[in-house]
Amino acid sequence: MRFTTKSLILSGSLLASAMAFGPGAAVWAQEATFVMPSDDVGAPSYDPIRGTKLNAATSLIYDRMVIQDADQSFHGQLATEWESSDDGLEWTFKLRPGVTFHDGEPFNAATIVWWVPQFAGTENAFMTDAIESVEVVDGLTVKFVMKNPDPNLLSNMSSIFMGIPSPKAYDAMGADYGVTNAVGSGPFTLQSFTIGQETVLASNEAYAWASDLSENQGPPHIKTLTLREISEASTAFLELRTGGVDMLLSVPTDFLPQLEAEDSIAVGTLPGTGIFYIPINTTVAPFTDIKVREAAALAVNQKEILDNLFGGIGAEANNFLISSLLAADVDPKLNISYNPDRSNKLLDDAGWAMGSDGVREKDGTKLQVALWTQNGTEFKRVTEVVQAQLKAVGIGADITVFDSATINDQYRKGNEHQLAVRSYSWANADIIDWFFAGSRLGYPNVSMWNDPKAEELNKVAMTGSRTWEERVANFKAYHEYVLGQFVFAPIYQPVQSYAYSKDNITLPKTVRGTRVQSQTIVDITVN
Amino acid sequence: MISFFIKRLLLLIPVFLAVSMVIFMIVHLVPGDPIDNLVQINSTPEQKAALAAKYGLDKPLYQQYAIWLGKALSGDLGDAIILRRPVVDLIALNLPHSLALGALALAFSTVVGIGAGALAAIYKDSLIDRTTMTLILLGSTVPGFWLGLLLIMLFAVQLGWFPVSGARSWDALVLPVLTVGLGGVALVARVTRVAMMETARKDFVMMLHAKGVPPWQIELRHVLRHALLPVVTILSLRIGWILGGAVTVEFVFARPGLGSLLITSLNQRDYPVVQGSLLMLAIAVMLGTLLGDVVQAAMDPRVRERIK
Repeated sequence: MRFTTKSLILSGSLLASAMAFGPGAAVWAQEATFVMPSDDVGAPSYDPIRGTKLNAATSLIYDRMVIQDADQSFHGQLATEWESSDDGLEWTFKLRPGVTFHDGEPFNAATIVWWVPQFAGTENAFMTDAIESVEVVDGLTVKFVMKNPDPNLLSNMSSIFMGIPSPKAYDAMGADYGVTNAVGSGPFTLQSFTIGQETVLASNEAYAWASDLSENQGPPHIKTLTLREISEASTAFLELRTGGVDMLLSVPTDFLPQLEAEDSIAVGTLPGTGIFYIPINTTVAPFTDIKVREAAALAVNQKEILDNLFGGIGAEANNFLISSLLAADVDPKLNISYNPDRSNKLLDDAGWAMGSDGVREKDGTKLQVALWTQNGTEFKRVTEVVQAQLKAVGIGADITVFDSATINDQYRKGNEHQLAVRSYSWANADIIDWFFAGSRLGYPNVSMWNDPKAEELNKVAMTGSRTWEERVANFKAYHEYVLGQFVFAPIYQPVQSYAYSKDNITLPKTVRGTRVQSQTIVDITVN
Repeated sequence: MISFFIKRLLLLIPVFLAVSMVIFMIVHLVPGDPIDNLVQINSTPEQKAALAAKYGLDKPLYQQYAIWLGKALSGDLGDAIILRRPVVDLIALNLPHSLALGALALAFSTVVGIGAGALAAIYKDSLIDRTTMTLILLGSTVPGFWLGLLLIMLFAVQLGWFPVSGARSWDALVLPVLTVGLGGVALVARVTRVAMMETARKDFVMMLHAKGVPPWQIELRHVLRHALLPVVTILSLRIGWILGGAVTVEFVFARPGLGSLLITSLNQRDYPVVQGSLLMLAIAVMLGTLLGDVVQAAMDPRVRERIK
């Protein structure tokens, strides 16, 4: 009995002490706590030049030359104007005057001359590969001399990896840059960074150079911003519900109904930046036959998945690109949509007759294929529905679930996979090159597709465009050809959702940008 | 006693070498490439090869193992490939959180488990016994992930007593400790109950009864003391598990810890971190076992006698 009594007393004391001190989650004036998207968890550094995984705080510490709005349009941040020569071999940028880094160093043309060559030899070098040299025109004007025309330059410049650090701090810290400290010119300064846990930022009180996407042209209204890393969506949701945090920068679709039911919580959405799709291995039977590939692609009922798995939030995917990209606007006849009648007819024409067990057969061989997916609730649920939809036209599919690191090695074997449920996040048409170029068979070219005409179109799209308009036209042609070969089946286009406490913070009427980033966060006020 | 300790310590050396080899091989035999997690879309095969060379992943496995072991013995576990920090620093950052959670959870399991086990043994086959053991069984079968969420719903959301998650204050430890600790209570309680019931049938206990020693004194001072020997064994084996096995609880409560570090690094195939974390956990298990043996020897003269 003595032991039980003691343990009860101990527990009671603990609880009483906890009640006295409380959880300490109150929101102080001008302070806010946000939860980063779960994809950002574990980002190891704030080094935009050498880093390969950055998180949401990066856009708050660093400014970029240009940034994008949700409609993919470009807006000046550290650059005020830019123009390209007719042949695309020169780009001239006028830089914003009066900008200083957090360490007091000035931002000017010399900064850009130092910055661009830093990418050489890094994993991010591809973004500046087309730049031959940077010339100073005057203290606040630079000219990029190009090796070849690169109409994608502005898109690259708007990437989060193109945040510009203070040259003095970057050179002084060497390999520790971004790990122990980070110095940009953005609206917030880095106060502390605990990997996997939280980043604390303070308002940059000198900030007076926000882009035209922000209403507030001065320092951020939030004076101290803590960005927490929480992997588990349920925990993040409960933190928001109890007021432990003020905003979730990303919310899984299946949590939206619960969040919308809360009076004190507001939910918003931005266009998505990715697609769920099924790569089809074109080198393994029966998918060497284009009819079978088309039949499988047409068996996928995108609307059913959108409505039943995602509650109608997001959009059906009918081609390989997010719909805000101009190259996604292909000939409507080429879009891939659910058509079970045509799917069945194609399989009949290909000689696959329906068997008594609902799985088709040809020459004694069942139309039974491997369907791979990776761990994660969303992937498993989508894959199970796809399996049922394939079965409806007579294609049997055996699901195998891999962890996300292992599955890429499995793809590289080349001939073991047939179908897979995958997703990507990338807001640029060059994602078609990444997943379908003949030089990357296995992974990332999971479709194992190597086609001379596609390679020709790829080359034109990647390197043969002088202007943005030409690039769009070239990628559209490449995209349309890929669609016509049925090397993948599009499924779903998610939106990005965010949620915040209406009691604690106020957001601007319109959230600008491709994500909730600096252009919006400088406008957020603490109630 | 000292010679016993030295003998046991020396025995750990071949165990350590074998474990280090297994850890190294397992990590490298698992499919997946850390370089894949480093490269960007549009990176070239040449850039990948350069990265592999930079981290020594292009060398034969036996060479990689020799280099790693040599450095590990001098306290250098290398640099994380993905996380870009010395592995020792990453472990140092996470270990205190795991130690705090593990030690408190172990203490909770021990106190509550022994208490509940003793209560059930003293009142064996009664309503108290059956109720205690049924409650413990129910508690131990609830998955930690779900139990954590239930505790958050009750104590953080409904009552507002504790924070939902994080590691910013001492009170953020209470719910994770309860979640991890409750899982161990059942094991300790069951072992204590069975051991106490077996001890109660021994001759010396009969003699104590015959001498007229009060029953509560016999149960708590003599029976429980003897019954603690297997409990010590169980607890010493749980030290390693407690440090690395609380990963789901760390995820639910968004806490740092060795378990989370290990799983995250495993998913990213960050070999040096995985190897370093596993080595730490293996050392914890070995030291836990050693500690258990020493405590047993200190508690039981028969064990000391066997050593002699």
